[in-house]
Parts: sequence; structure tokens; C-alpha cells
Amino acid sequence: MNHLAHAIDEIGRTTMFFAALLKTMFRRPSRFGDVVDQTWNVTLQSLPTTAMAGFFVGAIMAVQFTMQMRDFGALGYLGGLATSGTLREVGPLLIAFMLSGKVGAYTSAELGTMRVTEQIDAVRCLGADPLQELIVPRFLGIVISSSLLLGAGLLMSVLGGMTLGHLFAHVSPEEYVRHIPTILTWPSILIGFAKCAVFAVVLATICTYRGYSATGGAKGVGRAVVTTAVSTMMCLVVMDWVTSYLAEAVMTLARGP
Amino acid sequence: MIEYRGLVKRFGDRTVLKGLNLRISEGEIVFVLGTSGTGKSVLLKNTVGLLRPDEGEIWIDGREVSRLSEEEYLGVRRICGMVFQHPALFDSLSVYENVAFGLRRHDRLPEELIRQKVAEALALVHLPGVEERRPAQLSYGMQKRVSLARTLALEPKILLFDEPTTALDPITTTAVNNLIQELSRRLRTTSIVVSHDMICALGIADRIVVLDQGNIVAQGTPREIRGSEVPLVQDFLAEVPA
Ligand SMILES: Nc1ncnc2c1ncn2[C@@H]1O[C@H](COP(=O)(O)OP(=O)(O)O)[C@@H](O)[C@H]1O
Ligand SMILES: [Mg+2]
Repeated sequence: MNHLAHAIDEIGRTTMFFAALLKTMFRRPSRFGDVVDQTWNVTLQSLPTTAMAGFFVGAIMAVQFTMQMRDFGALGYLGGLATSGTLREVGPLLIAFMLSGKVGAYTSAELGTMRVTEQIDAVRCLGADPLQELIVPRFLGIVISSSLLLGAGLLMSVLGGMTLGHLFAHVSPEEYVRHIPTILTWPSILIGFAKCAVFAVVLATICTYRGYSATGGAKGVGRAVVTTAVSTMMCLVVMDWVTSYLAEAVMTLARGP
Repeated sequence: MIEYRGLVKRFGDRTVLKGLNLRISEGEIVFVLGTSGTGKSVLLKNTVGLLRPDEGEIWIDGREVSRLSEEEYLGVRRICGMVFQHPALFDSLSVYENVAFGLRRHDRLPEELIRQKVAEALALVHLPGVEERRPAQLSYGMQKRVSLARTLALEPKILLFDEPTTALDPITTTAVNNLIQELSRRLRTTSIVVSHDMICALGIADRIVVLDQGNIVAQGTPREIRGSEVPLVQDFLAEVPA
């Protein structure tokens, strides 16, 4: 019972932090340069991992689908199915997990250290708003770069699927890409990117909140990093379910009854 | 200059400050002594609005400030400089940008004037010419002095020091204490120094205030404190060579 109360308490606090963050974002915009810097950092840090993961996800999808589609003689749709599966489901989730492991942990440790060494207090004393100067740029950096990374990962997954499709199923690259536009419709692209953005908002809020509210020296920073990892994973799984459900509803509406 | 009236601060069901009353006049150097965890830092953080009291009033420069909004509080922080226990320097910025940080935010001065003020502030703490270094390249004692310069650059009327000499070696401790005394006198600031160093309090302070569990248990001039009968004060005095 106590655990449940504590969890609800934390969800409430995180939500309030998110509201304060949004308010700051619109009332007192951060410096454009800070946002660009953070986006650049996050993207650069995660690009190699994303590219590699993207390539192999594409490859795995191609192999998996080949086995099932060969029997139906539907190999022409291999590229389309593999790519739309990557974009709508595997891609956003993988990007979110990778970002939370790498950037989420780093951000909560960095902000936590700034908190326990009184740097955040110093920022306030020197006439600045830590939400505006520290939190919002990091938050936006994660959200913007998640979309860039999804795009890059997707391209790599097409490349991976193409390569493996060619080697494994003898589907030529032209054939692989030909039906991508048939299956990958605009609504599904939109849903993929929206999902990715929602995941990024969730993980960016959690890691900045945990770091920002760390207490109690080096141990407190460690605690912030661990709770960031745990709560991010749980929230992402729940959000995946929620967004899939919503996406399904949207797709149904778009198609008509 | 600064007056606390019935200041109460609670965290959850723990009351840290229990109705503290204290009045500090202009130009005075007051040392606040107490064991760890008695609420010395909490007192300073309430003064600059990093924490807000649950009850009571804080008067600074003739104005009750404890219920000001975050934006209105900026004016208080402008005249009330805090030097933290940690150096609290921004790792990713050069020493120059660290010292210029407050000048850029509070005052939005032109670059030329900022450059001049940064140089002056670093000269005050006897660290000229380190502008282009990174905090990580400086010793801990030097970082504490840069941190002091960052606060001094704004020329505050009130200086709050949170354990300025904790974790410093004896030589740097003496240097920092001399600096506090010299600066307070030369710049005519009102200073509150939180410390548990009775020796330097006796040497520098105009008045010493001893806190215990959120209340003042003794206060007076160094001479009066030397003669105090309060047990906690006696414990502090036991460390002082006769
Ligand atoms: N932000 C906070 N939240 C909860 N408790 C706090 C907070 N800041 C200080 N405290 C508690 O208040 C008490 C006094 O702290 P502090 O003023 O830092 O002591 P000190 O006299 O050593 O500076 C401690 O027990 C500390 O745990
Ligand atoms: Mg303290």
C-alpha cells in the first residue's frame, strides 16, 4: 500500500514538473543555440548505435518475413512490410530504449551532480532560471534528436533489409524498395514518428526530473540514475501499449468503416 | 539590514528552524556556528529564496521578502550574494564565463564592462589571469576562490558564506578567512558566515551566533562568547588554544 502511494506521489510530481517545464518553454524560451547544442550532442552520441541497430533490425525483419512470405509467393512485399514494421513498432521502441540507456542515464547523472554540488542553486542565485537554461534545452534536445535518429535508423534498416533480402531471399534491391510506398502510407509514417516523439517526451521528462530533484551527495546521484532507468522502462512499456491502441483507433478511423 | 522574525522551516514532520529571531546591522560580520545538520545552510537558503520559510518573516533592506514571487526575488538575489559550500562552478564553462555568468543574467552588461569586472573580481581573490582555464584544471582551493569571485563580481551589499573553509587545508583556510575579513571591510558588505570554526570566528566576527537544533543558544561579541557558560559553546571553545 505504501509503495503504491509512493508511486502515485512520484507520478504526480513528475507530471507537475512536466507542466512547469512546458510553461517555461512557452513563457521564457530557451536560447536557440543551447537547444541546437543539446540536439547535436544527443544525436552524435547515439548515431553509431542507432545506425547499427537499424541495419540489423532491417536485416532481422527481412529474414523473418522471408520465411513466412515465401510460401505465399508474396516476396514482392518484403521491403514494404519490413520497413513499415520497423517504423511503426520496433523502431520507436528501440530508439527509446537506446536513448534511455545512454542519454537518459547521462542526463540524470549530469543534472543530479549539478544539484548535489549546488550548481543548480548557484544558477538561481546568479539570476537565471534553471528550467529555462538547463532543463528545457536538454528536454528538447532529446525529443528533437529522437526523430532524427528514427529517420536515420529507418534508412539503415532499409539498407539492412535490402542486403539480407538479396542474400537470403534473392529479392533484388529494386524489388525490395518498389512496394515500400504501397505499404508505408502517410498515416503510418506519422504514427511512427508520433510514437517516437511520445516515448522521447516520457523519457526526457523522467531523466531530467530525476536528476533535477536528486538529493544526498554522490549516493543520491546514483539513486537518481537507477530510478531513472527503472521508471523509464516501466513507463515506456505502458506508453507503447497506449500508443499502439490509439494508433489502431486512428488507422481505423482513417480507413473508414 | 537583515532581520529574521520567528522563522520556522519544516521538512515533512521535521522542524529544522524553530522560530528563529536574529537581527544583523549594516556592515556587521556575523558568524553562525553550530554542529552539522542544525539548519545553518537552511537559514542561508531561506535568505536568498532557494527555500521558503513555513512561518515568520525575513526583512532585507527594509522589505519583507519571504512571500515574494520567484521573479520578484531576483532583486533580492542581486544584492545578496551567496557563496556555496561546494565551489559549484559550471564545469562546461571557462573561469571567465563562470565569473561573467551573473553579470550576464542579472545586469546584461556590455562585453567590455563584463571583461573589466571579471578581471577585477579575480584580482580581489588574488587569482589574476586564470580566465581561460576550466574549473577542473584548478585546485579545490582555487575553485573556492573563483566561486567567491563569481559572487563578488556582482558587488553585492550582503555576502552569505556557507562553510567557506570546510575541506580546505590550513594554509588555504587562513587565506580564505583573511579574504573574507579584508573584503567585508573594504567593500563594506554585511556578511553572514556559516562555519564550525570557532578559532576564526573569534578572530574575525563582530558577533557570533551559536545555533543548536534550530534555535539560537548563545550570541555575543567574541569576548562575550569566550565567557559563555552554555555547554555547546564550551564544546566549541575547547578546541581553541588558550
Ligand atoms: N531540501 C531539503 N529537504 C529535506 N530536508 C532537508 C533539506 N535541506 C536540509 N534538510 C534537512 O535539514 C537539516 C539541516 O540541514 P542543513 O541546514 O543543511 O544543516 P547544516 O547546519 O549542516 O548546514 C538536516 O537534517 C537536513 O537533512
Ligand atoms: Mg550546511
